Amino acid sequence: MVHTFTCLGQDFLLDVESGTLCKIDASMKNFIDSVSSPGGNFDAGEFSRMRKQYPEEAEEIEALQKRGALFSPMPNYKPPKPDGVIKSMCLNICHNCNLACAYCFADEGKYSGQREAMTAETACRALDFLVKKSGNRHNLEVDFFGGEPLMNMPAVYAAVQYGRTLEKVHNKQFRFTITTNALNLNEETIDFFNREMYNVVLSIDGRKSVHNQVRKTQGGKDSFDIVLKNALAFRSKRGDAQYYVRGTFTARNKDFAADALALVDYGFDKISLEPVVLPDGHPLAFRAEDLPMLCEQYEVLAKEYLKRRANPETWFSFFHFMVDMKHSPCLSKRYFSCGAGTEYVAVAPSGDIYPCHQFVGNTAYKMGNLQEGKIDTHLYETFCENNLSCKPTCLDCWAKYFCSGGCAANAINFNGCITSPYQTACALMRKRLECALAVYCLENTQQ
Amino acid sequence: MKHIEIVAEKTVECGAGTGCGECQASCQSACKTSCTVGNQSCERKIERIQKEDNK
Repeated sequence: MVHTFTCLGQDFLLDVESGTLCKIDASMKNFIDSVSSPGGNFDAGEFSRMRKQYPEEAEEIEALQKRGALFSPMPNYKPPKPDGVIKSMCLNICHNCNLACAYCFADEGKYSGQREAMTAETACRALDFLVKKSGNRHNLEVDFFGGEPLMNMPAVYAAVQYGRTLEKVHNKQFRFTITTNALNLNEETIDFFNREMYNVVLSIDGRKSVHNQVRKTQGGKDSFDIVLKNALAFRSKRGDAQYYVRGTFTARNKDFAADALALVDYGFDKISLEPVVLPDGHPLAFRAEDLPMLCEQYEVLAKEYLKRRANPETWFSFFHFMVDMKHSPCLSKRYFSCGAGTEYVAVAPSGDIYPCHQFVGNTAYKMGNLQEGKIDTHLYETFCENNLSCKPTCLDCWAKYFCSGGCAANAINFNGCITSPYQTACALMRKRLECALAVYCLENTQQ
Repeated sequence: MKHIEIVAEKTVECGAGTGCGECQASCQSACKTSCTVGNQSCERKIERIQKEDNK
């Protein structure tokens, strides 16, 4: 299967099954589009018929086919069933928040329950559980999440300290990360983050007016000024270590490229901006008719991205425009993606275990509890199906090895089935992947 | 080649399908809402390339 596309004024080709990425000229694009079916598969009859018209192009295609780089067959790969190992945990350290964001999936931190904080003891038991379930995995991930984790720092400090002792005993390495709204960031927490956190995600939505419209405090006040001040203080001390400023865009700021660039202009160089996911009919939810504009905005952003990255002074990274073609993930990773409900779980303050943070509070998806230490086998089996081989619509999609079939929670929430991906997210994913591949090509070839 | 320029070749590798699981869970990296794996890196490949660079 091949996918040809035009982006940033150039034509490109992705050979889906081999992952070969090419820059092509207009005549090659015309020829390949003519000799491939609507699904991107090779049409030998059409190729023979048209080769007189495109002799050079035909010769080049044949040469690439011979080396397995074009119209490649699907790899002979059967994904192994997950082996029960858990390596990654979202620790919902605090089901409370000092913001009341208009689009919050977590019910302003309460996750449809009460405002509560995880005890230090529960946090430490969660790490014990992770170590016990991690088999021979060396790298273990724990993300402190909420609600707002900074509202329960004693438990964060205790968990990190305890995790460091477990590392030595069990020959593990914890990669602690934290996702915060930055409202309570101070010198002490910044220094702690820089000492202990492998990655820090700070939530800012972009332009001041956009942010303030949807990210109010619990008292209804604007949060932008204090959040930006704190986030910049963090950035000034972070050096080269990993962090992201991560925003959400909604139907109110469909011109979100301006928000991504605003974040860069404030002084951040690692940006992620996510489309909001809300039930149909919510005033901030996207509608089908929004998709063309959203796709156009990705290209607007990609154009400016290329321009700014050409100058070290203005260089920045955008999470969804990054594709790692050099250290690209293995096929197993491409099939299983996030590993929700199998190698990745979320733990609520009560100690209840869920497939991921998106399911916390949904008791139908409670997989167990730390005290019992067991995982519900029926739910585990369900989430084993969250892989490409179980998603027929994905197997015919050119983007499948980059997204693994999308988010399990979105599939269930919108389509009631873990193997039926949420199509709005698919459309946006495909467009930003085209931008990402185009950026990769243009940065790695002579323009 | 005149009409086609390969920028990256055969990046979907069956042979590299170790499934060792040492890489980052995709949803833990930055977004918490989407499952992009194309921008995730293989820990083994990074180690191998670092070793080669150090030789």
